[in-house]
Amino acid sequence: MTAGFQGFVSPALRARLRDLRLVARRPAVSPGFGTHHSRSRGTGLEFSQYRSYEQGDDPRLIDWKLHARSDRFFVREAERDSPLEAWLVIDATASMTQADAARPGWSRLEAAKVVAACVIELALRQGDRFGIVTSGGDGVAPVPAAAGPRQRDRCLLQLHRLHAAGRWPVAAGLRSMGELIGPGALVLMLSDFFDPAAVELAEKLAAARREVLTLQILTVEERDFSFRGGHRFTDPETGDELLTDAGSARAGFIERFAAARRALAARLASQGVRHVEYFLDEPPDAPLRLLFGSGSRAGNPPAGA
Amino acid sequence: MSFGLLLPAGLLALFALAIPLLLHLTRRTEQQPTVFAALRWLQASQRPRRKVRFDEWLLLVVRLLLLAVLALLLARPVLHGTDDARAWVVVAPEIGRAAARASFDAPDADWRWLAPGFPVLDADAPAAVQPTSSLLREVDASLGANTALTVLVPRHLGGLDGERPALRRKVDWHIVDMETPPAAAAPRAPTVLAMRFGDADAPALRYLRAAAAAWQAVGVTGGPGRVQVTVAQSTEALGPGTAWLVWLVPGALPPEIRDWIAGGGTALLGASTDSAEAAAGTALWRDASGDVLVRGRALGRGRAMQLTREFTPAALPQLLDADFPDRLRALFEAPAAPDRAFAEAHAPRQGGPTLPSVPRPLQPWLAALVAVLFVAERWLATSARRGPSS
Repeated sequence: MTAGFQGFVSPALRARLRDLRLVARRPAVSPGFGTHHSRSRGTGLEFSQYRSYEQGDDPRLIDWKLHARSDRFFVREAERDSPLEAWLVIDATASMTQADAARPGWSRLEAAKVVAACVIELALRQGDRFGIVTSGGDGVAPVPAAAGPRQRDRCLLQLHRLHAAGRWPVAAGLRSMGELIGPGALVLMLSDFFDPAAVELAEKLAAARREVLTLQILTVEERDFSFRGGHRFTDPETGDELLTDAGSARAGFIERFAAARRALAARLASQGVRHVEYFLDEPPDAPLRLLFGSGSRAGNPPAGA
Repeated sequence: MSFGLLLPAGLLALFALAIPLLLHLTRRTEQQPTVFAALRWLQASQRPRRKVRFDEWLLLVVRLLLLAVLALLLARPVLHGTDDARAWVVVAPEIGRAAARASFDAPDADWRWLAPGFPVLDADAPAAVQPTSSLLREVDASLGANTALTVLVPRHLGGLDGERPALRRKVDWHIVDMETPPAAAAPRAPTVLAMRFGDADAPALRYLRAAAAAWQAVGVTGGPGRVQVTVAQSTEALGPGTAWLVWLVPGALPPEIRDWIAGGGTALLGASTDSAEAAAGTALWRDASGDVLVRGRALGRGRAMQLTREFTPAALPQLLDADFPDRLRALFEAPAAPDRAFAEAHAPRQGGPTLPSVPRPLQPWLAALVAVLFVAERWLATSARRGPSS
């Protein structure tokens, strides 16, 4: 239990994470040992089948006793439990700095960091590989996937350093994300999804056989619009300003914003993306419980597929 | 009881009330940008209402109150007519605490010593000799007009001055029947009178010696202090402790004698001595026809006097008068004024000057109020509940 980890995950929160498990709907494909069912066959504990040797197979896998009986090369395959590869894509654009006036230090980015630290905690407990990609005005900064406590420390260090600024990077910077995140990986995107490019990235990753989960982090003020009187609202990314009376603008905003959120959820659901909203006045484990908790609508992974 | 301001111009500080009003105008928070990323779903059609409104009412009220009280504090508010209705009993120190309590029955009254500062009777007794008349006038002036005043005095009252005190209130002049002997004067070392003479003035010495002898005879009966006379030629230096000097030497006054006078000595110079300072002084002694016999003035810390005539009976017939020793002594030492009288004869008159009563200042209370308001303001301004106005 390092001090840095305690900075993000409080003991109470850690206790609530106990019954959560990172699960993927699709079976994992990456090599290694883990707790997840795998579709790939190879060396392992549980025998699956023999198949004929093909060029490129490891000669060590050939069953020589069978070769002695049959004079043909057979390769022994076993089904193995493979670890999941979990990726956290964190939006670090300027809009993530927004916080509620009632709780000034608890910005979207802080919430994203805490949720990310919780996911890292879960992945570490399960022996999964995990990595982080942050995307903001400073560009795309990845921590390549690996497993183990040192990887956790690398990721937490990255989270500590993370500052939100600027706008969503251009597509060129994001192209590497497809190379970085292997097929079948579990990708959890933490963003406000106000930027269409972030939504497009989620769609592209989902289309490319990554299992994408999106967590839309919204402030309480965006849900309730609890402003009163005249205010000068500024968009942190574009710098646009709007001087308006909050009382008369409330009803229209809540209606339009709710419609926009419904449209986003429908759009992502059509791509097979599991989408969850998280408001800043909720505990940080609430969205994870929706995504990974037992009996959640995300469901249990189908065995074997 | 009425309220007054000693410095009404201090109320100009009330203009400072505009500062918190300006600080709390809601327009200000409108000018502060609110970060709001979901701006594109917000419509710009409604303009803010043009209405004067204020943020954080409670804090604003506390700040206004703080400034108003500070302005009032600057204006130096006072309360008139808050006289203490409690009667005062003032006791002369010669009587003593026990005798005073026994001779006058007023347990509810405010008992004080007749001494500077008017300490309460339970405090230590002050010195027996006090400037009684002055203290009586002070206690009359400092008390409210309606406060009853009782003064306990012994039969023989000391520390008086020349006039019966004229007070503005009717004083209950309560004479305690007890004998209080006059305080014995502390024994003093004899004053040294030096006489220095030139040859020409040697005959005058016999008159001076006779006067000194007369002083000694009076000194036995315990009047003024004793005087020790030393007579010598002018060439002899003054002995240590010499306080008075008779200088009957013609010619200029030597610088060392002049320095001695300036250092605190009192000197009577003969008519033949040249001394511009003493000759320009005021008249100290005139004869029956009004001619000036002695002039004198201060010189440094001392005093220089000069005879205007020769020290001979022909020029100065007063030498032969019976009161010459007293006259001569009075030149050196003013006789003590009589300050004792029968208390019965010295009861204060009514009809003194009507002084305005001293109003009670309200500044300490206002200062405490300012402190409380300041703490409340800081508490409100820094409390955790406070956030940017929404």
